[in-house]
Amino acid sequence: MTTNGGFEPVFCTVVPPHVLDKLARNDDPALSGPARRTLMRDSELRGKRRVTTEFALAAAPTAKAPSDQPLRTVYDAEHRTALPGTKVRGEGEDPGQDATVNRAFSGLGATFELFLKAYGRHSIDGDGLPLDATVHYDENYNNAFWNGEQMVFGDGDGEIFLDFTIPIDVIGHELAHGVTQYTANLTYYGQPGALNESMSDVFGALIKQYTLGQTAAEADWLIGAGLLAPSVTGKALRSMKEPGSAYDDDVLGKDPQPATMDDYVRTGRDNGGVHINSGIPNHAFYLAATQLGGHAWEKAGQIWYDVLTGGELTDRAFFTDFAKLTVKAARERYGDGGEELQAVEKAWEQVGVRIL
Amino acid sequence: MRIQVRRTGGFAGIDRHAEVDTSGRPDAQEWQSLAERAFASGRGTPPVGVPDGFSYQITVDGKTVYCADPRLTEEQRKLISRVLKEGA
Ligand SMILES: [Zn+2]
Repeated sequence: MTTNGGFEPVFCTVVPPHVLDKLARNDDPALSGPARRTLMRDSELRGKRRVTTEFALAAAPTAKAPSDQPLRTVYDAEHRTALPGTKVRGEGEDPGQDATVNRAFSGLGATFELFLKAYGRHSIDGDGLPLDATVHYDENYNNAFWNGEQMVFGDGDGEIFLDFTIPIDVIGHELAHGVTQYTANLTYYGQPGALNESMSDVFGALIKQYTLGQTAAEADWLIGAGLLAPSVTGKALRSMKEPGSAYDDDVLGKDPQPATMDDYVRTGRDNGGVHINSGIPNHAFYLAATQLGGHAWEKAGQIWYDVLTGGELTDRAFFTDFAKLTVKAARERYGDGGEELQAVEKAWEQVGVRIL
Repeated sequence: MRIQVRRTGGFAGIDRHAEVDTSGRPDAQEWQSLAERAFASGRGTPPVGVPDGFSYQITVDGKTVYCADPRLTEEQRKLISRVLKEGA
């Protein structure tokens, strides 16, 4: 921040980005104005658009504080591919007969709750965005995705995959893609893409742990446990604790995730290996969280959240850029020489990502 | 006509590949017409997909086009699912 020209320097040199972010949302224009301008200027310097999209509503004169309650809608694609499909459950409506619809609905609620209770974030855009999900997409569809506006879940083919709404961390994973889109907007290719994937695995895992009330030591650190059909040899799709160990099956092959930079996979497939190399930052998060102990969403999760939403993480960030920012965030939030800083530094060192 | 489909990405990040050789098949005409229509609406370079969406390569007699979920044409969707299901 060298080009502020002496303009409102207090916001430029002292206040960490996550605080600026909060200030920018303040109802008092005397507080929100300078903070917002600082963030804007910051973002202009890096040629980013997140602040304008994120604050467009907050800047409107009619803006009011977003609700502490989610606004959820679940649609049924009825095994076709038109989105969003037929509305089957809205906010305030009782559960129906369809377990898939009910799981999606409560998964949306759990995700909303973690972001609000742990990080003070109102929905995925931080401004109360309605949460929409479509279930029963296509026939025997072995996937779930985020289309930029909503989540979409297939039923699985029953031979390899079961219903994608079964693991709550998968629901959280998809919604976390929305959070990333509204914040750092990490490019979905190569290392920034693997970071984007890792953010979704981290917050997906945290949503599961939060829902179950688990500590870092108690958690299984698996992504997609319960998703593999009984005939498949494996326990989940990914393991943050032991990347590369989630499955080893005749049909699926072996889990290709590396845990450290020594085994980084260079490939053009899967958008440059976004679901493969995410194993490295995933494992770093696991190491930091288990080192710190207690509830992973409280300290390690807070540090990762600070970086994702802090405004300094660029959309083309590499692992090392992200790692350095977590070190900075740990220092800013918990102090120099604290166990948090040590745990974060050690985690990146163990997976071979440079922080100096 | 040799029709190959490769699917990459998706939540699981697991590749799938299959191909169908239409020569000698009783339904060769139907396959060829479907493949030509699916191929015609494909792109020369991989489109930017959505997070966790599947990406596809459709190769017909050695020429390749690309497409990605959820923006597939009906013909692409039909061809992809048939090749991945019936192909070897
Ligand atoms: Zn994802």
